[in-house]
Amino acid sequence: MASDGNDPDEVLLAGVSRGEPAAVRQLLDRRLPRILALARRMLNDAGEAEDVAQETFLRAWKQARAWKPGAARFDTWLHRVALNLCYDRLRRRREIATDAPPEQVDTGPAPDAGLMGAELSRRVEAALAALPPRQREAIVLCHHQGLGNIEAAALMEISIEALESLLARGRRALKASLADLRGASG
Amino acid sequence: MMSLERFEDLAEIYGGDIARWPEGEREAARALLAGQAERLAPVLAAAAQLDRLLDLAPAQSPDAALLGRLISAAPRPAAVGPRWIVGLSAALGLSAAAFAGVFVGVAFERSPQAAASVAVAVAAEPVVTAVDTNASLQDAIAEPAA
Repeated sequence: MASDGNDPDEVLLAGVSRGEPAAVRQLLDRRLPRILALARRMLNDAGEAEDVAQETFLRAWKQARAWKPGAARFDTWLHRVALNLCYDRLRRRREIATDAPPEQVDTGPAPDAGLMGAELSRRVEAALAALPPRQREAIVLCHHQGLGNIEAAALMEISIEALESLLARGRRALKASLADLRGASG
Repeated sequence: MMSLERFEDLAEIYGGDIARWPEGEREAARALLAGQAERLAPVLAAAAQLDRLLDLAPAQSPDAALLGRLISAAPRPAAVGPRWIVGLSAALGLSAAAFAGVFVGVAFERSPQAAASVAVAVAAEPVVTAVDTNASLQDAIAEPAA
C-alpha cells in the first residue's frame, strides 16, 4: 500500500538508518507496543508475541537503510511483517495439532458469577482466540490497532466488502460467546 | 441519505463509535442518528458494549530485556570522515604492523638471546609461557592450552 507522503515515521527511520540512538529509542517507544499488542492478540501467547515483535524489528533495522520514502507507510509495513510471522506460527500450531488435538478453549461462563477484572480479561482473550484467524485479524486491526477500513483491507489483501463480512461475523460470534458478560464491562 | 439497515449494519461491523466508521459514511450516520435517536441510540449502545469488552483483551508492554536487545541490534553510526581518510588510516595501520614485524624479525636474527626472553603468542587461544633462558625462539612461543 503506497504511503500518502505523510508517514510520521519517515524522519525517525532516516535517523535509525544513520545509527542515531535517539531515533531508535523513539521509534521503539512509538511502534513496539503496538506490534507487541498485535502479536499478543493474534497468538494469545506472551512469549510468542515477544518473539514476533523482536523479529519484526530486527527486520526493520535491516530494512532501514534501504527504505524508500513514499513507497509504503512504515507502520503498515511493520504490521504486514508481524502478521506474516504470526501466521507462520499459527500454521505451525495447526500442523502440530494434526497429531495431538488442541485443548479446547473455554469461552463459557466461569463457575463464579462475580468476575474480577483479570478473569474478565481472560474470557475476552479466550473468545478472541477461538475465532477463525481471519476474523480475529480483522477485529484486531480495526478495533485494537485502530486502522481504517481501507488500510486494514489493503493489509489483508481483501476487498472492503470482504473485510466488513469478516468483522460482522467475528463480532457476532464474540457477542454470542460473551453474552453472559453483558454489563460486566461497565 | 443512509438507510436504517445500513446504520445497523455499520454498528454491527465497526462498533458503537461513529468516529470509527468509514469516513465517507460518518456524516450521513450522524444526521440519521439525530433524526432517529430513539431507535438508533440503543443500536449504538449495544455495539459499544461489545467494544468495551474487546478493550479488555490484554495487550502486553515491552519489557526492559526486549528493549535492550532491540536497541543493541539497531544500526550503528557509520565511520566518521570521508572514505579516503578511513582508507588511509587502515593502510597506515597495516604498514605500521608490517614494519614492526620486520623490525622484530631483524632484531631477533641479530640477537638470539633477546629472542629467548620474549613470549610471542601466535597460536589460537594460547597459554603464553614467559621464557627467560637461552632457549631458541621456537621454544619461547606459546604452548597450546590444555
